Amino acid sequence: MIGTHATLEIVDGLAWITLVAPQRSLPVLDLALIADLETAVTELERRSDWQGLVVRGREELVFAAGADIDAIAGLTDELEARALIERGQRLYDRIEDLRGRMRGRMVAAIGGACAGGAFELSLALGTILAVEDPRTKIGLPEVMLGILPAWGGSTRLPRRIGVPAALEVILQGRLMGAREAHRKGLVDRLCAKEDLWRIAGELARGTLPLARRTRGLAGLLVDRNPAAIGALAWLARRQVRARTGGHYPAPLEIARVVPQAVLSSRTSSLHLEAELAARLVVSPVTKHLIRIFRLSEEAKGLAKFADGTRAQSPRVIGVLGAGVMGRGIANICAERGLATRLFDIAPAALDTALFEHRAAVESKLKKRRVQRHEALAQLDALDTTAELATLTRQELVIEAVAEKLDVKRKVFRELAARLPADAILATNTSSLSVSAIAEGLPNPERVVGLHFFNPVAKMPLVEIVRGRATSEATLRRTAAFALSLGKTPIITADCAGFLVNRLLGPYLDECVRMLEAGVDPARLERALKRFGMPMGPLELLDEVGLDIAAHAAQSLHSAYGARMQPCGTLERMLAAKRLGKKSGLGFYKHGPRRRLAKDLARFVTQVDPALARLSEAAIAERALLAMLCEAARALEERVVESARELDLATIFGMGFPPFRGGLLAWADELGPRERNARLAALHGGANPRFEPAGRILAGCMFHAG
Amino acid sequence: MSSQSQDLVLAAGVRTPWARAGGAFAREDAGHLGALVTRELLARTGIRGQDGGGIAELIAGCVGPPHDQANVARVIALRAGLPQAMPARTVARNCASGMESVSCAISALRAGEGEAFLCLGVEVMSRYPLVMNDALTGFFDSLSRARTPMAKLRSIARFRPAMLAPRIALLEGLTDPVSGLIMGRTAEILAREQGITREAADQYALESHRRALTARMSGRFARELVPVLPQGARPGPQPGPQPGTQPGTQPGTQPGAQALAEDDAIRADQSLNALAKLKPYFEKPDGRVTVGNSCGITDGACALLVSTRAKAQSLGLKPLARIVAHAWTGCDPARMGLGPVYASREALRRADLSWKDMDVVEINEAFAAQVLACLRLLPELDPARVNVNGGANALVHPVGATGSRLLLTLAHELHERGARYGLASLCIGGGQGGAFILERCES
Repeated sequence: MIGTHATLEIVDGLAWITLVAPQRSLPVLDLALIADLETAVTELERRSDWQGLVVRGREELVFAAGADIDAIAGLTDELEARALIERGQRLYDRIEDLRGRMRGRMVAAIGGACAGGAFELSLALGTILAVEDPRTKIGLPEVMLGILPAWGGSTRLPRRIGVPAALEVILQGRLMGAREAHRKGLVDRLCAKEDLWRIAGELARGTLPLARRTRGLAGLLVDRNPAAIGALAWLARRQVRARTGGHYPAPLEIARVVPQAVLSSRTSSLHLEAELAARLVVSPVTKHLIRIFRLSEEAKGLAKFADGTRAQSPRVIGVLGAGVMGRGIANICAERGLATRLFDIAPAALDTALFEHRAAVESKLKKRRVQRHEALAQLDALDTTAELATLTRQELVIEAVAEKLDVKRKVFRELAARLPADAILATNTSSLSVSAIAEGLPNPERVVGLHFFNPVAKMPLVEIVRGRATSEATLRRTAAFALSLGKTPIITADCAGFLVNRLLGPYLDECVRMLEAGVDPARLERALKRFGMPMGPLELLDEVGLDIAAHAAQSLHSAYGARMQPCGTLERMLAAKRLGKKSGLGFYKHGPRRRLAKDLARFVTQVDPALARLSEAAIAERALLAMLCEAARALEERVVESARELDLATIFGMGFPPFRGGLLAWADELGPRERNARLAALHGGANPRFEPAGRILAGCMFHAG
Repeated sequence: MSSQSQDLVLAAGVRTPWARAGGAFAREDAGHLGALVTRELLARTGIRGQDGGGIAELIAGCVGPPHDQANVARVIALRAGLPQAMPARTVARNCASGMESVSCAISALRAGEGEAFLCLGVEVMSRYPLVMNDALTGFFDSLSRARTPMAKLRSIARFRPAMLAPRIALLEGLTDPVSGLIMGRTAEILAREQGITREAADQYALESHRRALTARMSGRFARELVPVLPQGARPGPQPGPQPGTQPGTQPGTQPGAQALAEDDAIRADQSLNALAKLKPYFEKPDGRVTVGNSCGITDGACALLVSTRAKAQSLGLKPLARIVAHAWTGCDPARMGLGPVYASREALRRADLSWKDMDVVEINEAFAAQVLACLRLLPELDPARVNVNGGANALVHPVGATGSRLLLTLAHELHERGARYGLASLCIGGGQGGAFILERCES
């Protein structure tokens, strides 16, 4: 046996390479592992006493996660990046070329995570056997980090499953379960965990037959047809542009590499992969995306106590109030199989909740994301009731009732009397103080804020709000709960608007003020969408509902004073019964075709010619600098612990463009001097909305280094 | 332990509304509906599902479990989130299956096999299957055996359209294979022998609807019920009033809601005229039993918690009623409708009580003529005390679930009246009777 990170043994004419990576909890293809693989391949090339090869993990459900993200993050030089990429490509090519030296097969025996570089290794081996287990996750997620599969993935996958399917897999970057991977052709055969190594061995020896799937006529008509490939590439690029607004280079490059892979030689296709990937790896977009990926990984640590033990996530959940938020929260809890009981006094609202839940589950069933018995379990997980007294055994109750202090206190008082003393009472309030809600309750240490964003199923962030009395155990268990829902939690202080709404307030207000000053609303919307925001500010206001936005603005104003004084437009719109999307008319006229309302000029109060002439870039900058001032204050007041968390919150909570790395990373890219110069111009010595604070005042960067 | 703490009690119970077959619950399955009432019962009693609260077993009475849920009790237990370690069995005694589950629990409690049992009655008659007839089964069999194309052709040529006539599990299930009589005909026999006229039967059916309607309007049933939003319901404006009810006669239905909150077969517009117009269903043309004076085909589920008094107290529950005695008896299958007569007498004997001690009595109304026949044979029983909230003529009869409902309704009625003793009984296809005597627990 040779090697330590990857070992090679030849037993009875069968070669076994085992990915050990002893120092890592989950092996990644770092330099040590690659070096050992190279040694093993050299040995195999030298010897001829083997007739089949299996590459396996150290356990059935531990294969390898993929390339070493730390190594990728550390690359700053394009040439250096290219060298690393080509080293991997060469290794995989040599593995693929071993095929000519033996009679059997080369088999990847995978289970657990097998992503990116690890799956590319499997592709080079040719035959892929996977454990049918929910923990098996297979795919090429490089696009999520702003790069493309460059160790042969972009070349070998389209040759294996055809260009259209490969484009879908690589562009989505989603990891799939074993069954889906098998259905899509990423995997040749599934087996039970206990059989993995035996079957892998028999496949490698060639004693077990394996049905090879071919693409048949489609292979002939599409894969060998330059015209069809050209059309596919064009279509893919067009769709990518429409979806990303051209802000992300990686998907565009993928749409270029993948289609040509079936037409050109391996060498030239890999050459193209390496060239494009090297450029992408060192781009700022990739650096930002990797940073965000790590931040969201770090957020998983929030469920851990100081001693490293993981908090137990509650399994029996109560939700109070079947409004939009309550229904959404109940739905995602039940979809995760948590026993969920939704309370509301209005039976019709409960019906709506069940209808929505059933529709959500049925749609997953139709897309074959779940099996029938799983869907039934998810349906059974949600019960509704009009009697609060039947919430008797919940471990966590989330209230989403009317935003009135006395109403919230009343339901919590009632629950506190009945539920065990350690049951968590969480409030989804967005405008009230968590400490105030907890006041006077027995065991106030179990009261916490748990602020979801609308639409609950889609928005990845939840703010966990630490009230004055909230205990460490409550925080950790609530974080574990948020993580079990697949959300990214951040812990914020109990201040008005918490973090996200506190930042959105001045941003949206500034946008509406620009409208009042005569900025063309279409340009305003376009400016921020071009910047990378998922929605224009006016569109966002309409989605939220102008009544709710106005209420939030009021509560920010009363908490923070003059700098948060809202402009009058929202109130004027409300007076005209324009509530946004829900009433069909707001800044937009909603209907089958939504468009900006024609009469927005009515809301221009005083045309400011300087503002009206602003470029789109300057419009976006003005709105974001208003947000930045508040962010600097929030950071100063320790609303969140770090600039990193603040950036994470802006991305996951308000859709701040990920390729810019978050609000503070964007400001740092501007540089402190430039940033302060522009703010000074906006402040003009008097404008409280642009009053510098915190690190702006100190004239330093938000992120160190 | 004092002997009183060893008393067996109905600690709690809840049921779905009874829904006419092919209606609200037509797309439910027994496993889902049973799990729903079980979860509701656990929620109302505050018993934690994960550790099971010390419940020893879930016993479900069901006459026709779905074909893919032969032991539907186990499906219910798991879907309700009860611990995997808790066993579950499905029991059947035809129309008394829901009562049989309680009877099983009593035996187990007396044998010291546990302190608390979840006892269900559940039936989704809407989903009883159509079965291929033997000719069609034979046809498919020979087709699958045919090896050569010619043999296949020969097999196919043997197909006859008549082979498509299904066997209806519902009708065959309601026929006693020993006497060969469908249930309605056993009621016709009783009507003839006991001299029950068509008019008397119709009159009785009308009274059943009247009493059930009064009970529903007063909200009397609401305590027993959990509203259910049926599977397959579609969002949208509330559909018009249920057939057979007049607009505005559904008090207590939830404004704007589509969940079924009440038993939907009770007819507010029932009249002697309408009943008289119906043709005899089982014996034409002279029979006395019509669809109007029989119980209808129905879906529903009911869950009861049966435990020792001590266990109920340790769970923090105020029991509804003490189970005083119960009895099962057999009789002539062709006269199965008289089952309550024999079973009640035996239960009274075991309890050492007499009819005059019984303040309220439930006799399941499989057929109006059958109840009237029983009453004729029980002259000491005051008809005014029988089925005071109406019976299966109006509320209808999801076979495996009715036994549970009779016990739940009776227990609540004891509290309603501040009465002491009550008796619930029913007739059972195949010639049996079952009866339970309950005593109100102080609340």
